[in-house]
Amino acid sequence: MNDLVPVLGGFLSDPFDLIDIPVREWVTEFVNWIVATFREFFRTWISPPVRGTMEAIQWALTSTPPLIFLAVLFIIGWRAASWKVGLFAVIAFAFVGFMGVWYELMITLSLVATAVLFCLLIGVPLGILCSRKDWFYTGMRPVLDIMQTTPPFVYLVPAVMLFSIGNVPGLIATIIFAMPPTIRLTNLGIRQVQTEFIEAATAFGSTPRQILWKVQLPLALPTIMAGLNQTIMLSLSMVVIAAIIGAGGLGLEVYAGLERLNIGQAFVGGIGIVLLAMVLDRITQGLGDKGPASRAKKSE
Amino acid sequence: MGCFGVIRAEGVTKIFGPDPESILPLLKQGKKKEEIQRETGHVVGVNNASFELEPGEVFVIMGLSGSGKSTLIRCINRLIDPTAGKIILKHPERGEEDIAAMDAEGLRHIRTHEMSMVFQHFALFPHRTVLSNVVYGLEIQGRDKKEREELGRKFLAMVGLEGWEDHYPFELSGGMQQRVGLARAVATEGKVLLMDEPFSALDPLIKVQMQNELIKIQQELGRTILFITHDLDEAMRIGDHIAIMDGGEIVQIGNPEEILVNPRTEYVANFVEHADPTGVITASTVALPFKAPHFEPAGEEGGLSYYVRHGYPDIRFGVDNQGCLQKLVVNGEEAALADLDEALARERTGPERRVDTTVQCNEDTILRQVLRGRAFTQLPVIVRDTEQRITGVIDEPELIHGILEKRGYALTEEAASA
Repeated sequence: MNDLVPVLGGFLSDPFDLIDIPVREWVTEFVNWIVATFREFFRTWISPPVRGTMEAIQWALTSTPPLIFLAVLFIIGWRAASWKVGLFAVIAFAFVGFMGVWYELMITLSLVATAVLFCLLIGVPLGILCSRKDWFYTGMRPVLDIMQTTPPFVYLVPAVMLFSIGNVPGLIATIIFAMPPTIRLTNLGIRQVQTEFIEAATAFGSTPRQILWKVQLPLALPTIMAGLNQTIMLSLSMVVIAAIIGAGGLGLEVYAGLERLNIGQAFVGGIGIVLLAMVLDRITQGLGDKGPASRAKKSE
Repeated sequence: MGCFGVIRAEGVTKIFGPDPESILPLLKQGKKKEEIQRETGHVVGVNNASFELEPGEVFVIMGLSGSGKSTLIRCINRLIDPTAGKIILKHPERGEEDIAAMDAEGLRHIRTHEMSMVFQHFALFPHRTVLSNVVYGLEIQGRDKKEREELGRKFLAMVGLEGWEDHYPFELSGGMQQRVGLARAVATEGKVLLMDEPFSALDPLIKVQMQNELIKIQQELGRTILFITHDLDEAMRIGDHIAIMDGGEIVQIGNPEEILVNPRTEYVANFVEHADPTGVITASTVALPFKAPHFEPAGEEGGLSYYVRHGYPDIRFGVDNQGCLQKLVVNGEEAALADLDEALARERTGPERRVDTTVQCNEDTILRQVLRGRAFTQLPVIVRDTEQRITGVIDEPELIHGILEKRGYALTEEAASA
């Protein structure tokens, strides 16, 4: 009886002292196990395609003469949205060039393009799967929450352990962080297609695959484009973080500037990222608003 | 009308809920829809519906919302799977097939080639142009681009939308959108057309216009149409047969006049009470039969037998031995006999009604036309059968009774004596 008093008192004053859940040790051991077991697999099968794609895009962007790049940029902005957006894009990019970080801008753009490409390649099929199989979506939801809310710093280190430093671990982290909106909004867009259109397509004898390609995906396109837009913005927000583990470009300008307390250099990088974000945002929003499906929605 | 597939539904039943099969015995025992819903939580959508579509007819299913008519039409092409019953498609080559028991592949064939559908809210694909909407079914049939666009243009022209090929549905008015929906459905050249309240979302004027156009297209193409509506006047106007649904059950099937004149349940009677009878009821229904005791002999003269209506000795009907009316004598003077349609085409009716001429109509002449005849003459209208024999007479009492009671005196009297 007397022995119980201090125990009870201890429990009341600090109830969490009684039980210790060793999550720290578990995670450390788990990550060590993953790294030891899968490092070879990741380095031979995942690294090369990501790096290859990035290097190809990087080569194309950095070897294009800036004037030609600006001309193409204008045409893209004009066709996707309006001539105003095209003009804005040219002025913004030219300004970044005049600040002296054109090359860094191209590197960042190629990092973002690579990440977004992989997000689409993986995210859209996963989104389609989510929309067709409720059990898959139920299982996917917590995974998406984890991908979106875990602070990227937490998985930067395992990424480095798996892929070593450089652009690739930064890209992998960016892809993980930026993919959820593509999955979520592809799923949402397809689920939001009104049943009357599905009924009509079915009544004319369409197969499920025909319904997907001829009705659901085209009608979901504005929503999928909104997801793409968010994915681009999220991947841009990762470029500075990725610089910590060796990615280059404007993010490195910011990171290096801060490390050396060179506020000017950091700001040049920061302004470049903001302008790039604004240009990509306007262009992709324009794309989403263009199709007949979204015009029809507006006229309702 | 050629030979095409027609539909026969046998005991189609649809129950919504976790275990629909378990409810079937309860329905067989005659349990009411409300009881089943209260005791088991299952909703009876359609209960034991049977009907048959004749080739080339417009068969209308009419009922209020919640009567199960939309569920029933969706059972026919299996957008909804019926819980029980058969849906027989009579095919000229393959014989009878049960759609209710068909696998996915067979079902797709039926939907692609035999049946198409028009929807209440049009359900046009907003991302496709008008033409590309019309050819959707042809695309699924796997026809090549040139052929399907040719056909698509043909059917668009048929519904009066030539020149709108490259517009998008949202640029069109409701009436025009449903024309596109109609063109899309007829373009597959399926024999059966399912129409789920196709004109309910349209303005009243446009609605009547579309109904007339549907009748025109129907005569041109000779499709068999299953048409759903909650509008009795619409059902009467376009339906060759009408099935009335109440609480998931078909309570009466008949042609428009049968439904109007002889409603089988109180529900149907309430329904038809406010319907306009003048376009549906025929002359033979309201006419006073030309026989005893309504008419009595009044001598013979010049080879004709004369009759007068009981209580009206001033008008004498002279009939030859074939039974054809040859002479009408009013107050001793002979009145002329004219054909109703010819007389109305020849002369405009005015405030001065003729007293020296009467008109003759056929047994299937609609009441509206008979009324026009009575505006032309003060004398009774004569009803003839196809052999020109007089079968009945329509005077003012018959007209008033016909409009008010939607039936003839004779029927009322029979009902009273029975």
